[in-house]
Amino acid sequence: MLLKTKNLMKAFGGLKAINKVDFELPAGEIRGIIGPNGSGKSTFFNLVSGVYDPDPGSYIEFDGHDITNEPPHKIGALGLSRTFQLLRLYQDMSVINNVMSGYHTRVKYKFFDAVIGRKKIWDQEKEIKDEMMELLSFVGLADYAELNASELSGGQRRLLVLARAIAMKPKLLMLDEPAAGLSPVNVDNLMKIIMQLKDKYGLTLIIIEHILKVVMDTCNTVTVLDHGQKIAEGTPSQVKDDNAVIEAYLGKKMNDEEMRKALAV
Amino acid sequence: MEKVKKIISQYPFLGFIIAYLILLTVPSIFFTDLYQSHLSSLIFINIIVAAGLNIVKGYCGQVTVGHVGLYAVGSYTAGCMFMYLGSDLWMTLPAAIIVTGLFGIAFGIPSFRLEGPYLALATLGGGEAIRLFIENGEFFNSTYGISSISQPVIFGVPFDTPDKYYYISLPVMIIAVYFSYSILKSSIGRAFMSVREDPISAAASGIDIKKYKILAFILSAMFAGAAGAVYAHLPPGYIHPNNYTVIEMVTFLAMVVFGGLGHIWGGIIGAIIITIVYDLTRPLYEYQLFIFGLTIVLTILFMPKGIGGFIDKIFIDKRFKKKKVEEGK
Repeated sequence: MLLKTKNLMKAFGGLKAINKVDFELPAGEIRGIIGPNGSGKSTFFNLVSGVYDPDPGSYIEFDGHDITNEPPHKIGALGLSRTFQLLRLYQDMSVINNVMSGYHTRVKYKFFDAVIGRKKIWDQEKEIKDEMMELLSFVGLADYAELNASELSGGQRRLLVLARAIAMKPKLLMLDEPAAGLSPVNVDNLMKIIMQLKDKYGLTLIIIEHILKVVMDTCNTVTVLDHGQKIAEGTPSQVKDDNAVIEAYLGKKMNDEEMRKALAV
Repeated sequence: MEKVKKIISQYPFLGFIIAYLILLTVPSIFFTDLYQSHLSSLIFINIIVAAGLNIVKGYCGQVTVGHVGLYAVGSYTAGCMFMYLGSDLWMTLPAAIIVTGLFGIAFGIPSFRLEGPYLALATLGGGEAIRLFIENGEFFNSTYGISSISQPVIFGVPFDTPDKYYYISLPVMIIAVYFSYSILKSSIGRAFMSVREDPISAAASGIDIKKYKILAFILSAMFAGAAGAVYAHLPPGYIHPNNYTVIEMVTFLAMVVFGGLGHIWGGIIGAIIITIVYDLTRPLYEYQLFIFGLTIVLTILFMPKGIGGFIDKIFIDKRFKKKKVEEGK
């Protein structure tokens, strides 16, 4: 198992944002996480990536390491990369610097080499830049490399965030609503790029997405969360027909008696 | 020209050596009196401070208003070593750098929890505390200041006049700027910037936020310490607590803001311009602070990235447009 959580819990005051979630993800899979707003999907990401500390009793394991209470940068260094729902781009940095800062954990030279400015620094910096330019041209942003990230359009920002998360060559990539706010054509384009990147780098993916078509078309398995609990897990077609899922999304299925009662009030 | 550019991008220190050689010849060609040499040394010292301040403020985004306190630590480390041990610049410079670096840790620790204006207040308090401590300390000669600090002697030649001291402050400045260049151009500089822009996503990219915050404080403190030591030995070798007031801090801040926060040459451009302007407007002493305050405010309003950012923008826009036109054809 690449990622495993056991009895994962997180409460904000009295609200149980994540309640006893057991989650297992084998390497190479594409996993979708769906659920209504406020069901705990993003909280789940934040717990796994270390942004929040989970409540006592929880256990998270990534690639054989216990990461339950590790700080985010250590989890990142183990090869777990993520994107954010609100993007969190480095607005005031150039596009190429955005991507190159994602490369941080793979930089080989030592600190003192950088202070003294030895030749191997500049050689390696050039290599990094070339590699990152290649990545940028792969996602179609090479022409904008020197512009500030704040000057990009909404769709381009989503691509840049993706490129920045890929730059560290992660084992597991967690995408928090990668296609939010995109037009249908752009969504298809983005998903195509994501799938190509997956094949190219051998990634395992977790995707949170509200556009159900995306989830149903691309994911191998889907996990459904509601009120912080896992209510269903299975292939997209299994999940689609699951009663609990339909209830969470559309409301409870009523029989005639209940309907009459509800209308009489 | 292309070839030269390529070679310099591979061996950046060559560019610094060329700059050093050019600056070596400047006094004999242009300078007509000692005061110009003195002013140049002051510019070099300010460049060192501003380059350091640019690391912590411009790149790492930590608002520090106590930097002048660190500068004072550097100066007084040198001053006290001279006064009690009789050391010269070759001893006091490294000692000042190390001691000030340690003080940098103390200044950096509040940045783990405080941000923006709160951090500014904490560091302001720290800087003033250092000055007041010196002012009231017998050990530091309190308000008498430390005077006639020695100048270095190389091969029996004393560098005790402003025109000679120019050749002492110049190499220190060049080396300091070279260090700041290579730090900021490497992955360390990028990590600083991403901590400034968004700590949460920086951490997600595997960047240890606390480590880089404290590193920025230590590095910039070391720059301030080096500058302080060079300033202490500047002929006539006199330091006084009044040289390290908040007013000085405003001047340093004006340099970095005006030159371009977060621009690799920002502090240097600003230090040169502000030091010269400061000197030219000396007759208008009463209005100086007002003018510098206004400069900071206006720069932030109309040119948030200072001169450096302004120039950069013109070039990038030009290149981008050119590329678009080429594609259009």
